[in-house]
Formats: sequence, C-alpha cells, structure tokens
Amino acid sequence: MFNSELMKRLSDCFGPSGREKMIRELIMDEIKDFADEITIDPLGNLIARKKGKGKKILFSAHMDQIGLMVTHVDEKGFLRFANVGGLNAKELQGLRMVFADGHEGVICCEELKENEKLTTSKLFLDVASCDKEFIKENFRLGDMCVFKSDYYETDDCVICKAADDRVGCYILIEALKNHPSTDNDVYYVFSVQEEVGCRGAKTAGYSIDPDLAVAVDVTATGDSPDGIKMDVKLGGGAAIKLKDNSLITHPHVKDLLTDLAEKNKIRYQYEILEFGGTDAGPIHTSREGVPSGVISIPTRNLHTSGEIFNKNDVEECIKLLIATAGE
Amino acid sequence: MLKEFLFDVCSNHFISGFEYIKGDTLIKYFQPYTDSFEKDKLGSYIFKKSGINDKKIMLAAHIDEIGLMITRILDGGFLSFTTVGGFNPATLVGQEVTIHGREKVYGVIGIKPPHVTSEEERKKNHKIKDLFIDTGYSKEELEKLVKIGDIISLNRDPLSLQGSLISAKAFDDRACVAVMLETAKELNKISHKSNVYFTATAQEETGTRGAKTSSYKINPDIGIVLDVGFGKTPDMPSDSPELGKGPILAYGGRLNPKLTRKFAQVCKKYNYPIQHEAMPAKTGTDTEALQVSREGIPCILLSIPLRYMHTSVETIDLHDVEITGKAIARFINELDNSDLEEILCF
Amino acid sequence: MFLKELTELAGVSGCEYEVRNYIKDILTRMGCDYYVDKLGNIIAHNKGRKQKTIMVAAHMDEVGLIVSGIDSDGFIKFEAVGGIDPRVLNSKAVFVGEKKIPGIIGSKAIHLMTSDEKGKALPLGKMYIDIGTSSKAETEKLVSIGDYVSFNSKYVEFGDNLIKAKALDDRIGCSIILDLLSMKLDADFYGVFTVMEEVGLRGAETAAYRLEPDLGLVLEGTVCADMPEVDEEDKSTLIGKGAALSLMDNTTVYDIDLVRSIAKIAEDNNINYQYRRSSAGGNDAGAIHKTKSGAKTAAISVPCRYIHSPVCVASKKDIHSVLELTKSVIIENQKGEDHV
Repeated sequence: MFNSELMKRLSDCFGPSGREKMIRELIMDEIKDFADEITIDPLGNLIARKKGKGKKILFSAHMDQIGLMVTHVDEKGFLRFANVGGLNAKELQGLRMVFADGHEGVICCEELKENEKLTTSKLFLDVASCDKEFIKENFRLGDMCVFKSDYYETDDCVICKAADDRVGCYILIEALKNHPSTDNDVYYVFSVQEEVGCRGAKTAGYSIDPDLAVAVDVTATGDSPDGIKMDVKLGGGAAIKLKDNSLITHPHVKDLLTDLAEKNKIRYQYEILEFGGTDAGPIHTSREGVPSGVISIPTRNLHTSGEIFNKNDVEECIKLLIATAGE
Repeated sequence: MLKEFLFDVCSNHFISGFEYIKGDTLIKYFQPYTDSFEKDKLGSYIFKKSGINDKKIMLAAHIDEIGLMITRILDGGFLSFTTVGGFNPATLVGQEVTIHGREKVYGVIGIKPPHVTSEEERKKNHKIKDLFIDTGYSKEELEKLVKIGDIISLNRDPLSLQGSLISAKAFDDRACVAVMLETAKELNKISHKSNVYFTATAQEETGTRGAKTSSYKINPDIGIVLDVGFGKTPDMPSDSPELGKGPILAYGGRLNPKLTRKFAQVCKKYNYPIQHEAMPAKTGTDTEALQVSREGIPCILLSIPLRYMHTSVETIDLHDVEITGKAIARFINELDNSDLEEILCF
Repeated sequence: MFLKELTELAGVSGCEYEVRNYIKDILTRMGCDYYVDKLGNIIAHNKGRKQKTIMVAAHMDEVGLIVSGIDSDGFIKFEAVGGIDPRVLNSKAVFVGEKKIPGIIGSKAIHLMTSDEKGKALPLGKMYIDIGTSSKAETEKLVSIGDYVSFNSKYVEFGDNLIKAKALDDRIGCSIILDLLSMKLDADFYGVFTVMEEVGLRGAETAAYRLEPDLGLVLEGTVCADMPEVDEEDKSTLIGKGAALSLMDNTTVYDIDLVRSIAKIAEDNNINYQYRRSSAGGNDAGAIHKTKSGAKTAAISVPCRYIHSPVCVASKKDIHSVLELTKSVIIENQKGEDHV
C-alpha cells in the first residue's frame, strides 16, 4: 500500500542542496527504529546501516531539492537570486516560492526590452512586504527558497514538488522498513547536494567503499505529447538505467537487476537517458571502482513544481530494491 | 607483430563500459611479456612486469572505443541510437555497423535520398537523432534479436596504406596499447628494476573513469600516459605534429616538468625523434584522472600522431608506435638508474 | 545472380572497363552473341521468336570520384562523378586508380572544428583522400590527376532477404539482364549494358541509335525512402514490395498504355509490383525514348535505399520480381508469328 501520508511529508519538507537539515531530521525520525546504526557524515549525508557479514551494498537517494539562493536584497526590498541546481529561467516566472521559515514570495520579471533574452538576472522575488525592517530581519543573503506547491494524488499517480528525489527517499525508507533477512551489509544513504553535482554521494561512496551500489532516482519519460524520444513511460514499472551522462551501468549489475526483476515478477523497463546523471556517477569511480546501477522512477515534468509519477512504479521499485538488498 | 596485434584488437570491439567482452584478445598478447594480470572493478586491464625494487611505474593507454547504443526499436526494422563517447554524426552516414544483441546483427546507417532532402537540410550536418540503423528485419523479427541498451560497434576492416601507414577504427587509443606491448617486449631485452604496470584503461571516452580507479588501485610513483594526438592534415597549421616523426611530448600544468624534460633527454641520447606540444590546462586524456589520484601522481604524456580522430578511418604510422615503445623502455631503464626522488623533487 | 561480383568491381562513369570485361567474359561463356560499340556499350543479342525489336538496357557505370589534384603533402583532392551527397563521403574507404591503391577519405577532426563548422555539412573541397604517402612526389608515383576513385564496400546479405553493396544502381540491372540472357528464351531481345548513365545518359543514346528499338525496357535501381520520419507520400518506393514501374521522372513521361500493360502482365503472372511515386531522378529511358523517331520505353526498377552511397540496400525479392516481370513482358511482346 502506498503511504501517501509519508510521501506528502517528504515532498513538503524544506531541503534545497546544502540546506538539508530539516529533511534529514524528518527521515532520521522515520527510520531510527529500523536501522542498526545511523551516522551523519561531514557533508551531511544520512547513512543508515543494516549490519551483515556478507557483501557490502550501498543504496543511495538524495534528500536535496532544487531551489534558489538570495544573492541581493535591494533598497525597496526586492530579492535577486541564483539557481541552486538546474532551473530554467523561462519556467520560473510567476512561481510561488517558500523559505525554510515559511515566508513566501513570487518570482517576477523586469520589463524586457525588444529581443532581450530572459535570464535569471532579469528575475526577482517579490516577498509581499513594504516593511523594510521585516525584510531586513527575515531575508538574508544565502537564504534559500523552494517551490511552493500542494501535494495531490489520484488513484494511480501523484503530483508534487521535489519528487526528485524524495520519491527515491520514500523507496529507501520503505525498503529499509522491509529489509530482508540477509548476510549482506547494507547501507541506506540519504545523500546531500546531488542537484549541484552529486557531491554527497562522492564522499559517502569513498567512506563506505561498497562492493555494489544502486542509486534510486527519478528519470525522464518519453510518453508526453511531442516530448523527448525515449522508451520509458509512466506505469511501465521500475526503470533499470543502462546509461546516462555519468554512468554506463556495469553489465553485471544490469544483468543482476534484470534477473531479480524477472525472478520476482517485478515489472521493469530499460532506461537510457541522453543527459543528466545520478549519485551512481561519482560512486562508481570511487577508489578502485564500484560496480553500480540505478533504479529509476519514471517522472514527468522534472525540475518543475508539478512532477508526476506513478504509485505502482514506486511499488515495483521498492520490491526491486528489497530483492537487491537480499541478493 | 605490432601490426598483427593492432589489426587483431581493432577488428574486435571494446566499447566504453563493455571492455570485458573481448579481454582474451588482449591477454593473449600481453601475457608472454608480463608476470601477472588483474583487473580493476571498472574493467581496466592491468598487466604487471615485476621488478626488483619497490618503485611502481604505471603506463596507461585506454582500450575503450566510442560506440553506439540502441535507444528505440522502430517500425520497419530501424533502430534509434545514442552515442557512447563523442561522435561526429557526419562520420556515421553510410557507415556499416554490428549490433551486439542476442546474436550479432548487421546494419547500415543510411541517408535520406535527395528528393526528400531540402536545400536547407543538405547544407546541415546530421544530428544523431536524425540517423537510423537499417537492419532489414521487420520490427517483430528484430525484437527477438536485440533489446534497448544493446551496444553497437562500427564495421571497418583495418587497412594497410602506403609505407608504414595503417588505418582502422579505434587506433584511438589502441595505437598506444600497442606502444605498451612494444615497451613490454623491449624491457625483456634491457634490464629494469621498477615494477611496471601496463594498464589498458576502461571508459576513457566517457570521462577517464577507468584511469581513476586503476591508478587508485596501483598507486604508482609515476605515470606515463599514452594517447593519440592530432597528426597534420591539410586543414591544420603547417607546424602541426606530423605522422612518422615520433611521439608528441606534452608540456603543461598536468604534467611533471622535470620528468617531461628527462624523457626528452633520453630520446635525444638514444636518437629517438620526438615532437613537442604545449597543453596549458586540460589534456582530454587519462592524465586528468592520474595526476590527482590519491596523493597525486607525477605524469608525462606522450601522444601518437593520428589523423581523422573519432572516425572509422583513424590513421597512424606504425613507425611512431615502435619508436615510442622503445623510447619508453629506455626511459624506464634510465629512471631506474637515477635518483627518482631527486627528479620528482621540486 | 551475378550481383556480388558485379558490385565489387569498379566502374565509375567513364571508366567501366572492369565491369565490361567481366560481362564480356560471362557472355562468351554463355555462348551469347555480343559486340562492343564505339562508346563502350555492350550489345548482346538473344535470338528467338520476334515481333518487334526489344532493347533491354541497364547501365554499367556507377557514381564515384575523380582525382583533381595532389597537394604538397601528398593528399589527394577530388571531385564527384555523378550525383553524390557529399555527406556520405566522410571517413569512407576507397580505391584509387587502376592499381586500386587503398585510401581513406579524411577531413578535419571534430575536436578541431568551431561550433559553426560542426553544424554545417562538409563540402567536397574540405575532404581529401589519404593513401599514406607523405609528399607530392610519393603520391604522384602511384596516382595521377584524372584517376577514378571507387568506394571500398563489400557485398553483404543481411536482415530479411536484403543485400547491401555499392553500385546497386545499376549493377542490379546488369545482373538481371545477364540472368535473362542465360535463360535462352525463345523471344528475341537485345541486352544492352550502357556506359556513362550517371553523367548524362551518354551510352544509351548511341546504343538506341544503332538498334532502333520498338520497345525499350530500362532496368534500374531506383530511389527508395521508406525510412523513419519520412512522410508516406515522400517514400517513392517501398523495399520488398515488388518491381517499381515509373510513371514520370525528370527525363521521361512514360507511355501510360505501356506502363498499364506491364502492370497487367504483373497481375496476370502474380508478380509483385508498385508504382514509383516520385518524379525526381532520371535514367536511360530519357535517351532511348527520344532516339530517331522515338521508341515506347518503360522503366522497371528495384527499390534501393541510400542510393548513390557506399551502402546501397535492396531486397532480393524485388530483384526477383523485376527479373520475372521483364521476362514476362519480353515473352508477351514477342508472342505470335515470327516476322523475321
């Protein structure tokens, strides 16, 4: 059964790259009764371990989300900002944003001259106050904000923000709660700063030095009207990644995940993403190398305030991850 | 011998990420000249020639080649594909390929005929997404043979041109794997004290990934990185490095200056011709990973001049391969007889 | 089927001798009467029941390149012979001149291109042939200006009854005529192997002048664009769907009664056929139907993907359909009392 309540809390929780404290605490609270050991590394990765004497396996889902960072507050109280993670200026105008403490703002655009290109530098945040003192006290350089958008679901699908990669966190949490009895030494890593270059995964990969790594993250789909051309679709099951810009899935890991899916009657589809990367990128080149793969959740409208995924796909991903933990 | 090796390995495929498939071909040639063999976890091949002291010298040349991967199976038995590594789409038009599916499937990459090609289109280079592989099967038949994610290699029989020039796919960087083989052979004749690691690295074309993991594993004292460089063609400046005039020695921040100078001296002493090239920052070679592995590895970079890089007709002069291999053996021998700390000290 | 041998021979327009010698040799062994005319066309005669003079033509020549210069470092400059999209030439293997010196077509490595250059198709002038020499003098010992250059591309069978080769346009036609001649039909026709079709239908004109045919049948490899993302109406022909009958192209408006009668013969004999749905291109029919007082002429073609490239693709099924249909048309037209 899909735990809508948990997914909603994960999606609603504030946590842009480098500001993962709140989401980390939420997840920690959720998993503390299920892990044998929980550590937080110097970069802020949350690492939950299920101890074993066998193979060392690393699972990773990133806690951070894309957002904006305040870079300037002008005399009138308008805020200028920089991207935290991959955002397109064209898609930002008119969006509502929310800060860690709940203050809100709306993204507005300067009046563009003819032929002038819309870039982030033409945008500003209006935080709805004429009270200079209020602004000075509550909006400091370095503060971050994220999309404000409500969680919504139908019988089969969910619309929410930060499905990238809170749905991955959800899958790791559910897998950890249903961890199979196994000899494997399994590390559930909730990583930081993926959206700005998979930085948390790099250090976690080094310190854990696993024999096998599987990242769980969202991927694009090719099933929307005149969209990008790829074979992945919503409702097609767990996506086993074969390649993106950061990783060529180790052939043995591809075979392992495929065999596990077949054996356990888990619906799966192969995924080749012609852009982007995941935590598996830095992990697989860590130390002497780590055979790595990715289980992806097909998701539409990536990096927008309304990412859409399918609940059945998520269930299949959880099953595949549990099967992998027990392998 | 070197030609036989090159024609053999270039008739096989080692697509980035799938280097393990044809490993036997490589092992067969290196085993007679080396003492032990192991792999790193990404699939780099490491052949060790043991010495008598505890110094470690790592030679690195990447075994992988750029290739293609199936992304979609289309009606009429056509395939859409993506690239593994950087391709100029222009070089794929009219190219024959092999799809490594359940069985090997032959295909060609065609082009639309002129009557459905607008003037505008004709002036443009193709994009990968505009190209399709024609397999000649129906979609139903094809789906039994291949799957999304299957890799595709280019077909091109190696060719002997005039003199000692040869042409094939994947001389980038197997020309340098052949250099390592020549060095290994040569070291059987002249003594060496260091342990020498001949490393055929994996996944250079997708981001020097194998060099990163193999150098971590070996943890060498110095690195000799071997790759290919641009050999002079009519569209390049007149002072560009030429084929047949020896390896190109690189100078720049990625390379250790004293070690580089030492190599130049050795070549001068033994009359091996070399050419020179300034590389102020990024080299686009395994040096990127080696130099910053663990606590850092002092490196030199040698390039074999090559024409038409990243096409199926990469062209080199065998003579360059041979003298580079011999020069490196001399270099190792000279290093063994000098104070390495002294050389590496800034 | 003589297709493997025929396609692996070099025969760029104006330099067809390899193909000619091969065909002459086969004809001699078959015991077929033939002669070679002043331009180099081979005219073979199958004697039999005769109502009219039938000329079945296919061209021996293929598109290719010709050496136009040698630079100071020994690289060879070239021009195209016949209609070649320069975009098919990049990084292909070739044979240069009569000695068949192996070479490859080189150009600037993509790494050295500006982003502007990367987006543009490379014109012929920016490509050159590299045979591995390092000076002008060295190249000149092996290659001269005017030497013809052909693609180095082997005959391959693949997929469902498909073949890939260079020069399928029009060795397919040559192969079919040889097959027809080898059948020793009791129906009279001339099998004509023409030269220089690709550079202006030169050979067909003189051959038709001599033969004065009542009926001309041109056997061709024709354009086929049944690839993904090509609109249905632009596909021209479909591979595997049978002999393609031309209605109109740049050189001929085909006699509609003749075309319909051929279609009927196909239907009566259960031979697959299709109409060629494009008016682009042209072939020897353009010369034959206008010679002297004129001759009704039809073109029966094999659909050929990636035509004029080193990797033409055609279906053995279609080749068979064209062979069967041509045979039936000849027999049908020579039925009745012998006039000669």
